[in-house]
Amino acid sequence: MMEYLLILPIFIPLIAGLLAVVEINHKNYIREAISLLAVAANLIVTYALFDKKYAFSIPWAGFGMDISLRIYHFSAFILLASAAVAALIALYSIMFMNGREKNNYFYLYFMLTLSFTNGAVLAENLILMLFFWEGLLAVLLGFIAIGGKGSFKTALKAFVIIGVSDLCLMFGIALTYSLCGTLNMSEVTLPMTFMGGVAFISLMLGAISKAGSMPFHSWIPDAANDAPLPFMALIPAALEKFLGIYFLSRICLDMYKIEHGSPLSITVMTIGAITILAAVMMALIQKDYKKLLSYHAISQVGYMVLGIGTAVPVGIVGGIFHMLNHVLYKSCLFLTGGSVERQAGTTDLSKLGGLGKKMPVTFGCFLVAALSISGVPPFNGFFSKELVYDGALESGTVFYIAAVCGSFLTAASFLKLGHAAFLGKEQPVFSKLKEAPLLMLIPMLTLAGLCILFGVYNPLPLHTLIQPILGARLEGHDFAGLPTNLFLVIATVAVLALAVINHIWGYRRTGSAIKAVDHIHYAPLLHGLYDRAERKFFDPYDVGLKLVNILALSAWRIDRAIDYFYTKIVVGFTQAASGSIKACHTGSHATYIVWTVVGLSCMIYYVAFR
Amino acid sequence: MTLLLIIFFLAAVLIINLPPKAFFKKIAFWLALFLLLLQLVFVFLPRSLWTGLNTLCSSNNFSMVQDSLSMVMLLSIAIVGLVALLVAKAHIKSENKLFNFVCLLLLCCIGMNGMVVVTDLFTLYLFLEIVAAAVYIMIVFEKNQNAYEGAFKYFILSAIATTLMLAGVGLTLSTVGALSFTALQIYFANTAQISAGATIGVLLFMAGLFIKSGLVPFHGWLPDAYQAAPNPVSILLAGIVTKSSGVYALVRLGMLGVLVPESLKTLLLAFGAATILIGALAALWQKDFKRMLAYSSISQVGYIVLSLGAGTLLGYAGAIFHMFNHAILKSLLFVNSAAVESRTGTRDMDAMGGFAAKMPWTGATSVIGALSISGIPPFSGFWSKLVIVIALWKAGLHYYAAFAILASLLTLSYMLYMQRKVFFGKLIEGYDDLREAGFLYILPSVILALITIGLGIGFPFIVGTMLMPVAIFNW
Amino acid sequence: MTFFVLILSALLLVALATALVADLLVAAIWLALLSVLTTIAMFYLNSPLAAVFELSICAGLITVIFISTISLTRLTSNQEKKTAARTRLKKYIWLPMVMLVIGIALYLTLDINLTLPLLTPETDVRKVIWNLRQFDLLGMLIILLVGVFGVVVLFKEKFNNER
Repeated sequence: MMEYLLILPIFIPLIAGLLAVVEINHKNYIREAISLLAVAANLIVTYALFDKKYAFSIPWAGFGMDISLRIYHFSAFILLASAAVAALIALYSIMFMNGREKNNYFYLYFMLTLSFTNGAVLAENLILMLFFWEGLLAVLLGFIAIGGKGSFKTALKAFVIIGVSDLCLMFGIALTYSLCGTLNMSEVTLPMTFMGGVAFISLMLGAISKAGSMPFHSWIPDAANDAPLPFMALIPAALEKFLGIYFLSRICLDMYKIEHGSPLSITVMTIGAITILAAVMMALIQKDYKKLLSYHAISQVGYMVLGIGTAVPVGIVGGIFHMLNHVLYKSCLFLTGGSVERQAGTTDLSKLGGLGKKMPVTFGCFLVAALSISGVPPFNGFFSKELVYDGALESGTVFYIAAVCGSFLTAASFLKLGHAAFLGKEQPVFSKLKEAPLLMLIPMLTLAGLCILFGVYNPLPLHTLIQPILGARLEGHDFAGLPTNLFLVIATVAVLALAVINHIWGYRRTGSAIKAVDHIHYAPLLHGLYDRAERKFFDPYDVGLKLVNILALSAWRIDRAIDYFYTKIVVGFTQAASGSIKACHTGSHATYIVWTVVGLSCMIYYVAFR
Repeated sequence: MTLLLIIFFLAAVLIINLPPKAFFKKIAFWLALFLLLLQLVFVFLPRSLWTGLNTLCSSNNFSMVQDSLSMVMLLSIAIVGLVALLVAKAHIKSENKLFNFVCLLLLCCIGMNGMVVVTDLFTLYLFLEIVAAAVYIMIVFEKNQNAYEGAFKYFILSAIATTLMLAGVGLTLSTVGALSFTALQIYFANTAQISAGATIGVLLFMAGLFIKSGLVPFHGWLPDAYQAAPNPVSILLAGIVTKSSGVYALVRLGMLGVLVPESLKTLLLAFGAATILIGALAALWQKDFKRMLAYSSISQVGYIVLSLGAGTLLGYAGAIFHMFNHAILKSLLFVNSAAVESRTGTRDMDAMGGFAAKMPWTGATSVIGALSISGIPPFSGFWSKLVIVIALWKAGLHYYAAFAILASLLTLSYMLYMQRKVFFGKLIEGYDDLREAGFLYILPSVILALITIGLGIGFPFIVGTMLMPVAIFNW
Repeated sequence: MTFFVLILSALLLVALATALVADLLVAAIWLALLSVLTTIAMFYLNSPLAAVFELSICAGLITVIFISTISLTRLTSNQEKKTAARTRLKKYIWLPMVMLVIGIALYLTLDINLTLPLLTPETDVRKVIWNLRQFDLLGMLIILLVGVFGVVVLFKEKFNNER
């Protein structure tokens, strides 16, 4: 009986979202109250369900499609974490979205996203999970589209990109069903054959695209400009990472049992490594606060994918821990960006400067989060990155080098960002600038605090949340506490120092924080690449659109031909037939009597003489 | 109990012709309304209320059949009669004429009620003649030239039908020995001993019924009679007279097992298919609203006969359901045409356009009727066509099933043509002060539209109660 | 039996005459003759009551009604008679020929057994009508009512106007 509590995390936000959109005349903040109640209730329920192990299954359609939900330590962890993040961002959104239009749709999509995420995490049956996955896609479209003018194009782009990867996912699920005969996630074991590998790749592509890895990433920077900011903090930063990495872990650990050093493992790691590098290089040259953060979101996924792809315990634990940490500091960073946007009215780095004095709390949270993301000890990012480096080193030096370069560039770009936005000369327009309201500061502070906590006291997350996930694969290791490999620590510290030196040198050279990394931007080979990237040359979506245009033209030609057939030939024929029949009806009753006699004689002939 | 339906109506007709003429002229309409509503209620009364009167009736040789086919027919008669009465009240302005119409309507209903409950072939024929006689008078009711011509054609072809039916009755009597339904059922149950004479007798009777129901090529009278008759009479004709006089008897014969010889079934299929096609083709691009609806009626009766030709229980169920649906839908469409005519004075579709803006109720119910009759879900027409197609398919008549589906396209096209011409598009000049039709036109059309929607959505629920007693489904 | 065949062929010829004659009044009289021949046939088939009904109603009452209705029409003028006579033969010449053809075809193909069994009626016809055919009686009464109504509805105004 208690198992049916599992539907609560799905239904509480769903009903709250539907109620919120209905309240058209915005009276007395009822909408916000409903949302807050819903996220609070969700948090309480997920906390209560945290260490239970429930499962229930209702047979529904045939072919193994059941409604089956299950909670165990991994899904409980994801559920609780997303509930907490959603609660904080809901609190934040109250002040941020106050007075903006399309408020009701914002809360509807927010709640629906939370509901579907809970559903996807709890779902044990692949088809049910696919249902929630696709529901998230639809909600994503709406969520981006309410951002303002021109946001519909970005919403469509996101829809198409994730739609394509969802098709991969569907193909993977279909293949899984035909290989294993079951759609129940805990029962699926893909065989180590070629077809099993194909299924694995399809499922993996679906999972990592949700998380925002390359090559399905190009919508995130566009959404940073067009969508409302709490969306960025909630979805690309937090919930999508949770979902994508959760599913990736389940694929790699439960469903496929990836082996260390196998070709598939190397493929996954390569994708991760490329993502880290390419995204962070793009992040480096951005001039907008939010776009820079969004490229980093893409880049950090690379670490997670790399970690899980190593298929060694230390790497996997590192990847999952990195996911948790990333959510914390990336959400915090986006929230600071939102508070800057709200107070200063812009996120263009060339227009900002010197906000640190006016917005000290925001600056403080930014500092903590930036240090975490760069991997500075003793914040949480450092510990998870160390675990990932350890795993990468075990699998191949090239991956380790890629990860370390990524760290270098990450640190450099955050130095640039922090300097340009918060330090430096204060612009005259910001003389009356105030700190953001309290309701917006509380979530930022909470997240920053958690960054520090999970860093300093890392046994807490590792023992309670993450290491139980691996179960037997852990092989008895315990990764809490300080990292053991001293060489890695020294290398990390050296890279960080290098980044600081690089930034100071660049600043001295050009005199402005934004141009501090120009020497990388305009380096000989990289200049050409950056140029093309800025022109969206490498964007798979835009390339695809051009191809689609040609196909559309030929389809139109064929359609015209078919149309001609139907409107000229078929209609003409019918008209001729109809006209001749109508001409036969002369109105003379004698004619009708003759018809009757003819018909009668046919009848008699047929019956009597055959 | 159903005898009461005949006795009450007869008593009513006699009474309202008694001396205090002015008084009776006033209450005639309301009396008829009351009686038809009473008939509607009768159908839904539980059977237990009827047993006492049943024994009374059967002991006096007024044996009547009371299975669900008769109930469905009584229900259709009541509904269409009510609709025709309401439209008559709106259409006929003079009180004298309305009185005459009411008397004739009651007499016609006596005939139809009698037809659907009797258990003897000759009595069936007799009540059919009552209906025909009443309908002749009703068509020429308004005494214009077109009406005379239409009624005359109906009369002449009905005379031929009468001849054929009597000849059929005579032959059947001499071979089978008795004309009651039970005797026929027993005779035709034993397929080995069916003589050629009996088959020819049934064939001649069927030919008469074909003329009465308006199958091709016996349909010559139908478009002219429907078009020329006054609006309430057209509703009556299209909704129930053709069905109860012609098609009901065919269905009854089928359910008695009389249509067992393969040749008879093939005839039904062939004539049914030809009727669907020719009716639909002739309905396309018609200019006169009522004439188009008349050809459409011919086409739909073809569907009913096609379903009968399948010869299975499912086929009969489909035929009965389609009969009921057609009664409802055709009445609805004719009410709409009457409404449009009452406000614009014309039936020429070329002169119409864009009326939906000014006549929203008429337009909306007309759309519902058109979609339902074309077989679009979730209306009731879809379900009856579906049952027909499945019955044909299951009986192994794959080509006929495919043909039925394709012919639905034709139905949809001429209905859409009508909708487009009359209701949609831009409003034609000169009609800026067009008003919605009177309440007495809107009320029946809304009720009929609600019935079709309700049956359509609730079909999975009623399939067990309404259709099951008639035929047992096994999907 | 030959007598019966004679009666039947006479029946056919009289029917043909009824259809081909030009004058309505003459046609009505031929129709009466047709009824008389039918009566004789029914007597021959041993159903006296049906024969009596046929004679009285068809040859008697119906002929009266026809003639009174014909009296309501105006006489055809000589001009109309001439034009009708010219076209008449052309229109209707095929009728007797078709009948002949069908008759010969049927005779050759069907096994027509013309030995008629003499049917002995089981009970008195009166009993048949009252006991077995009550419903039909009711039906016939209603049809008469409809006929009366029809005449009243259609002709009442005309009579009123003429008066």
